[in-house]
Amino acid sequence: MSQSSDSPLSVVSSAEPSASPFTRPLLLTAAEDWIGWFLSKLGRAALLAVTGTSVLAVGLILVFIVREAWPFLRDRGLSEALGSTQWYPQAQGREQFGMLALIFGSIYVTAGAMILAVPTGILAAMVLSDIVPFRVRQAVKPVIELLAAIPSVAYGFFAILVLAPLLQTYLHLSTGANALNASLVLAVMAIPTIVSVAEDALWAVGRELREASYACGATRAETLLRVVAPAAHHGLIAAVVLGMMRAVGETMLVWMASGNACRIPSPWWDWTQSVRTMTATIAGEMGETPKGSVHYHALFMVGLMLLVLSLGLNLATETLLARAKRAAGGKA
Amino acid sequence: MNIPIRQGLNRLFTTAALLSVVLIVAALVGILLPMVWRGGGAVLFRGTVEFRRMQLEQFNRGDLSTLRGEIEQVTSVRQRAWDILDRFAAGLDTSELATRVRQIHRDVGVQLSHRGLLPDEVQRLRALSQQLRDELLAAFGAADKAEGSAHLEAVLSHADEPGLKDTAAAVYFDIARQYAHVLTTVDLSRRGEYAQALGEVEAAMRALLGPRPGERLPAVVMERYGATRWDQAAQQLDRLLWAERWQADTAGQTLKKVRIPREQQFAGTELAELFPYVQHNVRAMLLPRWTFYGHYFTDDSLSGHYFGGVGPEIIGTLAITVLAIAFALPVGVVTAGYLVECAGDNHATRLLRTCINTLAGVPSIVFGLFGLAFFVIYLLPKLGLPAGSSILAGALTLALLVLPVIIRASEEAIRVVPLAYKEAALSLGASRFHCFITVTLPAALPGILTGLILSLSRAAGETAPILFTAGVAMGPIPTSLAQPTRTLSYGSYDMAVGDKMASLAPYNQFGMVATLIAIVLLLNAAAIVLRGRISKRLRGQ
Amino acid sequence: MSHKIVVATLAMATVAVLGWGAYLASGQDAKPAPEPTALQIEGSTTVGPIADEFTEAFKKLHPDITITVKKTGSGDGAAALIDGRCQIATMSRFMKDEEFKKAVDKGITPVAHAIALDAVCVIVHPSNPVTALTVQQVHEIYTGKIANWKELGGPDVPIVVISRDTSSGTYESFCHVVMGKDKMAQTIEYVNSNPQAHDRVATTAGAVGYVGLGFLDDKVKALSINGVSPSKKTVIAGQYPISRPLFLFTNGYPALGSPVYAFCTFYLSEKGQEIIEAKGFVPLTNY
Repeated sequence: MSQSSDSPLSVVSSAEPSASPFTRPLLLTAAEDWIGWFLSKLGRAALLAVTGTSVLAVGLILVFIVREAWPFLRDRGLSEALGSTQWYPQAQGREQFGMLALIFGSIYVTAGAMILAVPTGILAAMVLSDIVPFRVRQAVKPVIELLAAIPSVAYGFFAILVLAPLLQTYLHLSTGANALNASLVLAVMAIPTIVSVAEDALWAVGRELREASYACGATRAETLLRVVAPAAHHGLIAAVVLGMMRAVGETMLVWMASGNACRIPSPWWDWTQSVRTMTATIAGEMGETPKGSVHYHALFMVGLMLLVLSLGLNLATETLLARAKRAAGGKA
Repeated sequence: MNIPIRQGLNRLFTTAALLSVVLIVAALVGILLPMVWRGGGAVLFRGTVEFRRMQLEQFNRGDLSTLRGEIEQVTSVRQRAWDILDRFAAGLDTSELATRVRQIHRDVGVQLSHRGLLPDEVQRLRALSQQLRDELLAAFGAADKAEGSAHLEAVLSHADEPGLKDTAAAVYFDIARQYAHVLTTVDLSRRGEYAQALGEVEAAMRALLGPRPGERLPAVVMERYGATRWDQAAQQLDRLLWAERWQADTAGQTLKKVRIPREQQFAGTELAELFPYVQHNVRAMLLPRWTFYGHYFTDDSLSGHYFGGVGPEIIGTLAITVLAIAFALPVGVVTAGYLVECAGDNHATRLLRTCINTLAGVPSIVFGLFGLAFFVIYLLPKLGLPAGSSILAGALTLALLVLPVIIRASEEAIRVVPLAYKEAALSLGASRFHCFITVTLPAALPGILTGLILSLSRAAGETAPILFTAGVAMGPIPTSLAQPTRTLSYGSYDMAVGDKMASLAPYNQFGMVATLIAIVLLLNAAAIVLRGRISKRLRGQ
Repeated sequence: MSHKIVVATLAMATVAVLGWGAYLASGQDAKPAPEPTALQIEGSTTVGPIADEFTEAFKKLHPDITITVKKTGSGDGAAALIDGRCQIATMSRFMKDEEFKKAVDKGITPVAHAIALDAVCVIVHPSNPVTALTVQQVHEIYTGKIANWKELGGPDVPIVVISRDTSSGTYESFCHVVMGKDKMAQTIEYVNSNPQAHDRVATTAGAVGYVGLGFLDDKVKALSINGVSPSKKTVIAGQYPISRPLFLFTNGYPALGSPVYAFCTFYLSEKGQEIIEAKGFVPLTNY
């Protein structure tokens, strides 16, 4: 083992071994410790491979969904998918794959859920951040997170077995499995998400802004609505978008409770009619298509549209949260 | 705006806000409470002697001698009810006789084949037996006395057939003679009037008390026992004591349900005394007792979820979620470690973060689609496994689903570890890897554990990813990873929409979903408690 | 130094595992069938109760055979059989031409075993005074031409039309007889199983739907179609217009003595026929 005299450690290592406090050199070159060098390179490679799993997974998802949806795009075209509401996948020889009604159904149910959930959720977030004492907030926050964890099958269970008959009896509707039912329960599912994120956003605004507003003589309502909420608006919008993502991606509830009628309600504002969402179509019809049939590819096309929609919303959330962080980070 | 108005608006706002919280809490309580309440009825209920008998016969659970004593006790009380019913039904309800006659024909066939006769002779005697059977069935179905008597004459004309001596066919002739007696004494014109009602009474008695002692065991397990629960018994008793008919006030209008007491329906006949007797003695006939069915969580289900419990579903859920976590945890922790320790602020890191966030945003049904297209159809066949649903495919799909959760929780946990720990380790000469393994990870362990528990609960509750990859409605407890499995989530979905038995046994329906909710909530509560402890520990520094 | 050895061993083990996996993945074809004593059954929700009870009976008779049952629709069963994901497809309709073609293209020879007879009964809520309809009237209800019960002699209540989803064999049988070439209206509600159709009709006063014979009970009322009401007699005689056999489809005739064979011939035994009758369907033999 040759050590260059320029090495900073050569002074130490050339001293008598018994006098030095170190029993081995502090830094070895690659040639001296080839096992260590090899292991560290291998370790880095393994690390990269493992962390690359996430990237690989996303890549595979995109590749496989597009790959299976491509035959539909090639043979039938986007115009058929987006141009008509006639979804008759099993009519022999005359199949039609108009997905407009499905897209409308997803948006309809989500919009309904958001109309119900956003005011309630944001008001509840304001209560938690500003109105109730700190201890109550600390106690209630975990409860809300608990409620976000209830599986969607349980909600679907409730919607079809308990809520649908109630709607039929007390609202005198002809059917209890409709967009109203789905929107109501979807709102309950989205609220915990909205409350959590909105509450965090309101909390992050900090005391100075609130104190300044109170010092100017504003009431609590005015402070919250005119000062705090606008200051936290990035986070609040992110909360709404996250709730929307939860609603759009929901499968089991809408499959069980929305009635699955493949049409746009007429008149369009009539909540009490059955609709079908994209997620329910995939869940319900996937099993019956042998691999490679037109229906199979059409369902993957629906999945692709769903993916595009969700990723768009996801991107919006990320941007908003980043802006919120920057805005909050700008303060002390 | 002057001050009072503003203060008024303030108060209005506060009220509205508090109202929204109340609304949320009410909604959640309103959703959970019915399900948990009804589901609780699957575990804690008033069980009858039929339930204990079912537990003994199907699950080998219970004390034989006490059960025998109870059965003797109830049989003596029930026998009178059966006797009243049989006496009345002798002329009117011939379905029992018809079943017996069919059975006789089958027994005769078996006996003849063991006689050692010539095949021609066997053929002839078999045909004769079938002819006798069909004549008897025709006699039972005859609308008037003359026709019935004619059929019975035809049967009795073969009474001295030598080939059929010492076979079960002798019973044909006894039945024919008995029925001939019935024909002379019973007024067949009443039959049409009472037949349908009698059928309902018979069905209700069977549903309440089970088959008669000594009767042939029904093929379907569900029909071998009467009402196993007291609430079920109350329902069946109601069906027995009241007839429901739909009647119209005016033609073309919606029919209204009308309830007629059966005593009134059968007034003037011998059957009328059955109903007050059963009503007063139903407790003695069923011996209800508060039962805690703790084995609900370990028993298999019988007769399509009508009896039994959710044991296999719980095992399936545990298997698939633990396997999913086993795949996702190492990958997640390593990725989080990389992000915190080694990642620079370059494009690769940004790509990685984007991918993780993208994974978090994919809907669960798209995961299911991907699992089907990639794992089930493409990947697992390449590894030699059959291209069907399997726990492995489901677990891999769920692993992808929970990966972002684990990465986020682990990253937060590792980031929060005080820099002092790391610096101390590094200053003592540890390599970065050594420091990570021996110092950072153990310190971050509680946070990682929290993430693990949260993802366990998420994976346990998801249905959409396992719809196409691992779920089945009925099947054995899986013995290998290549088999599909029942799970609580898929089972709840199936029970809500797909199962016929489920509506007959709503307590089992709700029991399954209540078990799922209970497991998920317990896991989450554990995670929250853990997180509270961690933050307390960190704040205490 | 010791931890380095540990890490080195782990690294070598990882490389070895990856290499073995790569070798496995390189040249092997998919094995066509799982171990012979595991049986996977997928398909119809109509045949579902029969398949469930057969499975239960098999637990006692053939404890070494493990059976899994999935009930999501006849079309699902056909697709699974064609993809090789199940050994027995329960279907409440015969296989369609395209399914046959796809099966043959993939090397699967579908063989049908008719195990029971069934009638597709048109059901309404018991409070509905209507008791009989013609096939033409049902056709008009499902294409949306008739929208209110008063046009059929009933009360002034809008008709809530409920249908099974397109993967259902009951749907296909119904369409074949009642709809012909016409498509169903877009306003009808889809449910995905017989029990769900039954429950929807039982809880909705103005509803009309269709289920198999085994799903009738006193919570719904079956209408007579063209003057014939569904019962065992009328189904066997073929008088009821919407009767059909219930099938089990396998890939080729099952090997004698195999679990598939045992399951597919169980309906011939007396116990099998009893189960079929107990479930409300029509047994094939006059046992």
